[in-house]
This record gives sequence, C-alpha cells and structure tokens, in this order.
Amino acid sequence: MSALYERFERHDHGRGLKAQATHYCPGCGHGLAQQYLAQAIEKLGVQDRTVAVSPVGCAVLLYYYLDVGNTQAAHGRAPAVALGHKLAHPESVVVSYQGDGDLASIGLTEILHAAQLGIPLTVIFANNAVYGMTGGQLAPTTLLGQQTTTSPRGRGREMGQPLRMAELIAQLEAPVYVERVALYDAKQRVRAAKAIEKALRLQVEGAGFSFVEVLTECPTHLGLSPVEAERWVKERMTPVFPLGVKKDVAATPWGPWPEPSFDPEAVLAAVGAEPLADGAAPARVHALPPAGELGFKLAGAGGDGAQTAALLLVRAAIDAGLDATHIPSYGPESRGGTSYADVRIADGQVLSPDASAPDALVAFNAPSLARFGPAVRPGGLALYDGSVIAAAPALDPSVRLTGLPITGIARELGQPLVKNVVALGALQALTGIFPEERFLSTIREALRKRPALVEVNAEAFRRGARAAREA
Amino acid sequence: MARMEARPKPVLREDWCKGCGRCVEVCARSCIAPGEQVNPGSGLVPISLRLDDCNGCGLCVDACPEPYALVAAGLAGRLAAARPPAPWAPPPEVPAERVPVPERRPLVLKGTHASAVGALLAGCRHFFGYPITPSTEGAELMAKLLPALGGTFLQAASEVATVNHMYGCGGAGRPSMTFTSSPGFSLMLEGISYMIGAEVPGVFVDVMRAGPGLGNIGPEQSDLKLACRGLGHGNTHAPVLAPATPQEMLDFTALAFELAFRYRTPVVVLADGHLGQMTGKVSLPRELARPGLPSWAVPGDAAHRGNLVCSLLLEEAQQERHNLALLEKYARVTAAEQRAELFRCDDAELVLVACNSPARTAKGAVQALRAEGIRAGLFRPQTVWPFPIRHLAPLLGRARAILVVEASDGQLEDELRLALSHAGRAPGEIRHVRRLGGVLPAEGEILAAARSLSAEVRQ
Repeated sequence: MSALYERFERHDHGRGLKAQATHYCPGCGHGLAQQYLAQAIEKLGVQDRTVAVSPVGCAVLLYYYLDVGNTQAAHGRAPAVALGHKLAHPESVVVSYQGDGDLASIGLTEILHAAQLGIPLTVIFANNAVYGMTGGQLAPTTLLGQQTTTSPRGRGREMGQPLRMAELIAQLEAPVYVERVALYDAKQRVRAAKAIEKALRLQVEGAGFSFVEVLTECPTHLGLSPVEAERWVKERMTPVFPLGVKKDVAATPWGPWPEPSFDPEAVLAAVGAEPLADGAAPARVHALPPAGELGFKLAGAGGDGAQTAALLLVRAAIDAGLDATHIPSYGPESRGGTSYADVRIADGQVLSPDASAPDALVAFNAPSLARFGPAVRPGGLALYDGSVIAAAPALDPSVRLTGLPITGIARELGQPLVKNVVALGALQALTGIFPEERFLSTIREALRKRPALVEVNAEAFRRGARAAREA
Repeated sequence: MARMEARPKPVLREDWCKGCGRCVEVCARSCIAPGEQVNPGSGLVPISLRLDDCNGCGLCVDACPEPYALVAAGLAGRLAAARPPAPWAPPPEVPAERVPVPERRPLVLKGTHASAVGALLAGCRHFFGYPITPSTEGAELMAKLLPALGGTFLQAASEVATVNHMYGCGGAGRPSMTFTSSPGFSLMLEGISYMIGAEVPGVFVDVMRAGPGLGNIGPEQSDLKLACRGLGHGNTHAPVLAPATPQEMLDFTALAFELAFRYRTPVVVLADGHLGQMTGKVSLPRELARPGLPSWAVPGDAAHRGNLVCSLLLEEAQQERHNLALLEKYARVTAAEQRAELFRCDDAELVLVACNSPARTAKGAVQALRAEGIRAGLFRPQTVWPFPIRHLAPLLGRARAILVVEASDGQLEDELRLALSHAGRAPGEIRHVRRLGGVLPAEGEILAAARSLSAEVRQ
C-alpha cells in the first residue's frame, strides 16, 4: 500500500502503459525514493494532509504519481514554496523533493534558510551527481574527475568541488534530523525507506526540519547499466558522500500555531482605529479661507523634532475637519542628519503635497533658515529658533521674520526635547490657524500612552504661544 | 525454531518492466534473470522470473524502481482491474465574507502604513518580505501588527524566496502579500511569472524608486513598464493599481486582494517613494473581509487532495490552450477593471495624464491653469494595466492635446500610446513633462509646458 495513484492519469492522460509506468529511465533511483516516500505517507496515515512540492529536473513530474495535494515550484525554490504552504496551513504535512542541481546549486539559499528556520518540513534530496533532465551536465555534486557534457575532460578543481549537502545542513542549529542514505543494495534500500519515514514522522510530530539525502543512480547520464550504476554509487560516490546519520537531536516541538483572527473588533483595535468622538463629524474650526490651502516647512537637524511637530500639525488639521499631508525628507545619515518636513493643509483636498514655497517656515537651525527662508511666500512667516540662530539672514521684506528662544524655553521647562512643541505653540499664536484648544487636545491624545509627558508638553505649547504674542 | 510464514511471491507485470535488472542481484535464490525477448507493448526487454525457489522475501519488489512492474500478488490483481477514475471534482468554494463595521475616526497614516492596514482589513494574515527602502515601513508595521491577529510574518532570505513563499501560501489558498521596491521587484519577476502561469493569487506593493541598478531611494515611476509589460517570461499580465494618496494606498491594497482572488492572479500595487512616505488622512472602509478557501487550492486536506498548482504543461497544444485561457482572462480584466479619476475633464481642451505622486502635482497645476483661463483637466489612471482607455476615449473629441506628466522616461506615455493605438484612436498632440532619478515634476515646469502647448494648439 502506498500513497501512489493506481493509475497515473496525469501521465499522458493515462493512455496505454503510461497509466501505470513512470517517466523515469530504466534503473533510475528516483522511482525508488518516491515509492519509499509514498509508503511512508501511507504508513503514517497522512495522505490527506500531505502537500508535495515538485522541483525542476527529472522529478518535476512527481505530481503524476503521488496521490496527495501537489504543487510544482520554480527551479531551486521548492523549500520556499514548501514554507509558504506550511505557514498557510501548519497542520499540513509538506514535503519538498529536489534533485542536486535544484537544491545544491540554484536553490542553495532557499534550502539553507529553510533548514536554519527549522519549521517542520521534510526535504528529500536526490543526489545523482549529474544533471538528468537537461542531458547530463555538471552538477554541484559531480565528483572530481567525473565526465559530464559540460566537463568533458572530467571535473577539475577549476570547476569547483562537490558540495556535501547533508554535512552542510547538519552543522546548522535548527534541523532535527539529517541523514544520507543510498539505494545500491537491499540493506541500503531498507535504510533509505526508514530514513524517509522518520523524516516524515518528525514533521507529523512537529519536531522540526528534517533532511534526507538519497544517493540515486542515473544510469543514462553515467553511461552505465543500472547495476553498474549501483556499483558506481557504492564505490565512487560514497567515499565523497559518506552514508549515515549526520544529525539526530531532540528539540522542543513546534506549535501551537497561531490561529488567524478575523474578529472585526480585534482587527480595528490592532490598526489603531477609534470610535468617532460622540459619533459626530468634527467641527470645522480653523482660520483657512474657503477652499484655502496652506503650506508649512519644518526644518532642522535629526532630533529637533521637526517630523513629530509636522505630524501633530497634520493630526490637528484633520481633527479640525481639514485635509492635510506630511512628507518627510532626511539626509542619508541614520541619526543626526538633516530632517525636513513638508506639511500642507487644505479646506478640501490637498493637491500637490510638497511645500516648496511655504506659507510658514519653522527653522530649528541656521542652515535650515538659510536654505528655506528665501523660499517663503511673500507675506509669509519665517519662525526660527533664536536660541541657536544668532543672526538671521535678510529675507524678502514682506516675510514676517520672527526669532524666539525656542530651545531656551524648552530648557527652562527642564525638557529640551519639547522644543518642537514650543515651536508649534508659537506657530499657532502667529498664524491663528486653529483654536489653541484644538492643538492642545491633539497633543494630549498623542501622549495618551505617556500621560506623564502631557503637562510639560502642554506647558511648552502655551509658553511658545505666549512668547510669540509678546514678541 | 520459528516456522517461516508462507509469503506471497512477486508478480511480474511484463509490460511495465523496463528490464533494468536491479531485482536480479538482490535475489538470493537466483529466481530472476535478465530477459531476452522484447516486449511488444513497451519495446523494452523485461526480466524473466522463475519462482520455483522463491521464498517470498520481497526484496526484489523493494528493489524495483517502477511502482507497478514487479509487485506483490494482491496488488497485481487490483492494478489490472484499475479503471480511469471519474474526473477530479474539487470541493465547492468557501466564499470570502464581508463583515460590516461601524464608522471610525479617520487615521493619520503614511502611505506604506496605510497599505499595510488595507491588507489587514482585507483579511491578509501572511506577510513575506525582504527589507528594501523606501518600502520597509510597511513590512515593519506588518511585523508589529500581525502577531496580535494570529498572523504570520516571515522575513525571507531574499526577494526570490519572498515570491516563492507567496506562491506556496497563495497556492494553499491564503491571501499573502509583500512590500518591495524596484530592485526587489525585479528579483520577484520570475516568481510572478510562475504565479501567473499557475494562477496563484498574491499582492505585491512596489514602492518604486529611481533606477536603473541600485539607483537611489528617491521616487521614480521606474517600474511601470515592468509591471505592465514585463512580469517575467511568457505571456504575462496582471492588474496594476496606481494609488496617489495614502487613502488610495489603503483602498487599492484592499482592492488588490479582492482582484487577486476573483481572477486567480498576482496583483501589483505600484506606489512611489514619495507616496510611501507621505502621511495623510485615511478613512477606514465600512466593511472588513474574512477570506474563504478557493476550490482549486492545495491546503493539505482531504477535500482538495486531487488539486495541483502547476505552470508546467508539456504538450504544446495544452500549453497553447492554457495561454489562450489566460488571454481570455486578461480580456475579462481589461473589460471590467479599468479605473480612472477624471478631474475637470468635462470641457477640457488640454488633458494632463499622470498617475501616482506626479498626478497630485498635476492636479495642482490644473487648478492653476483653470485660474488662468486655460481649460485643462487631469486624467489619472488608477489602473495602469489595464489602461483605462474607456474613460479617456470620450475626452478625445474635445481635447486638442495631451500632456503626460511622469517621473520616468515615458513609461506611462508608452502605455497611453499603446492603448490609443489598440483603440484605433488618433489623438491630437501628445507632449510630456518627465523627470528622472528621484526628482518629481514640479508644478512650475508642468505649468510652463501646459501654457505653451495650450497656446500652440489654439493657433
């Protein structure tokens, strides 16, 4: 009994002899490895749960034979596809079956990362030291000296040396079971069948990632009879690819697996959605003319808080029933470089979101004022931190150039980081864009999870506003 | 001494024996010999059996690479009687559900975050991705939020691994997505071709940046051509959505999941670096999705066991039929899914065409042109494949000229020209404003180009 179809309807539509014959050449080892896999599936009672991932290469047609859920992967990607299946349905039993070109050459990244991830998967790796489907070319496991169509004088050192995949996988921490087996005599075949069954059982038990390398015969491309090919594997391959268990460790079983939640309340809470305040639409309280639009530029160094202030401005505007956008731009440094924010607020829809000619500029340092000051619209506002900018450059006379001791006020409050909120208070006082309470309630809400900071920020805002009124 | 039980002797099904001889060596009693006669059915030379001395050890059966050549006696009878099964009938589809939710306060989100939220609301609980600026904040938000919803976040080894995780997850019938940016999108194209071939759903949010090569992380519409014309090898097309606001980042990502499962296809949401970083007001939809399970999926259960997700069709005629079926699907998508926003186009003599961030600047330009008395409008494709020619065509009678505004070397204009050509429409003058390398078209240069084009066509 096994999990093979009794008729291979996918093989030439089940016509003639093909309904019960594989497409493999006489004596090919794939047929054996796949039968052992099918027997293990049957024995463990997991036929309904099994998903087999076929590779590219001679074994690509695995889905002709295995009566399980089947999928066929791109060359080398079977372990990545297998992981997708396993994570989609952790109760499924996912087997990736791959040849040596697929697994050890083009798919080396995928197999190593899947192995070290360690999530329960079963990988059967058929190593026959040659590319079969494409016609006998050099494989990553081809032996030194072995002739192939792309190493016609034998594999030399300049073509690289054979990759021992079982050893490579076994030295990783995550896999629980790695064994190399062969098929060249009755004893080895029994061991191979047992190893495949064990690799599958470990997945069923949730133990972890297991890997069985099977040395298979490719009589056709070795140019040998099937029986000679068995001998070749025994005598030539096993010295390079020693048989045996490479790793077999106990591990904490995986699971329980997360159960996806689609509960609307949970989803809305996760994304931070809140009920409408009193169920009413926000009051449109602001100083914008109908269909009016304002642009702001907040500029300084990283750490000045320009982006946070910009986001508070945007949130306040949206809470006031307006549309608003924010675009940050940074220097290439991860920390401490330039940090500019463009904000646009519109009664209606913000069209172009950049503020290349802002109605108001907030400059936290001299380079920012020098760079963006001249861009401020005629009649606009250029607010700068007088604590750090000693002398402001000359700007268009219609621009209201206002220096306030922004950093100084923040220091007086014992909290230098609140200078951006001092600046917002000043901006509010100088533009009257919203009622003060609008801003304050936005600040309070933004700090809801850090209530200790609310008062110092509110005070920073009020002090900034007062300084602006007195200036 | 225990008595050996009598065990069944093997049966040779000669037609299926390929004569490899692997059973010959294993038989300790020399019951098996290489054959001498060609089998007329297979054209091969099967082995020959003389079972007089056979003790039923079964080693020969275990040595036979062919599953149904040398078999146990009981199986042989069943195999001979096996008849073609009834055609595989997959189980009925479990449809996705839509769950109404009360109105919520608008969120203030940047584009990438809005897209991630859209995916969660659309029922996506599987994220695979590889970090790449300027798309990564979307992935980071998914990493933060998915665990609370029992979801799975996997940082893949590469973009190549990413798309193949999605192939597996989508093949298992689950909604999955990734965030990437241009160089990463290039790497995913092989896998997208497989997804299209095997008809596997999945959502790709590509926050485009400047290229070619490593380019930079500034905004460019560098992948329009890839997304519309180059989704890997083969005759590939997939819906390509082009949002222009954080709100559309949410709405179109959610829509992408719907389209992905409706048409069994990958769907690309093309954003740009500017839009990914742009924060704005985002209203939440009034319903959430609870995914179903498609009948064609391979989830690893009894009901779906006969399913196969595969893009390999060895027979040319079969592959051609599959291609024709895909083309028919593309035609259905083209007929049903063209989307565009028309802004002041009703009486427009000059139509600006732009999508993504450049469309917002172009919209501002249209307002300014109107204030100057120039009858300008904006035609903004929201799907770039299919190009929304149906919505553009009615404007062409009145419009005397088109100005394409884009942050690429004409990739949007090529889509426009192809669509016009296929529709048999000869438009008036087509000009363009193009910026590259991370620079977006500025309102000033759009206005200058529009004024001069408008003056020219009025003469």
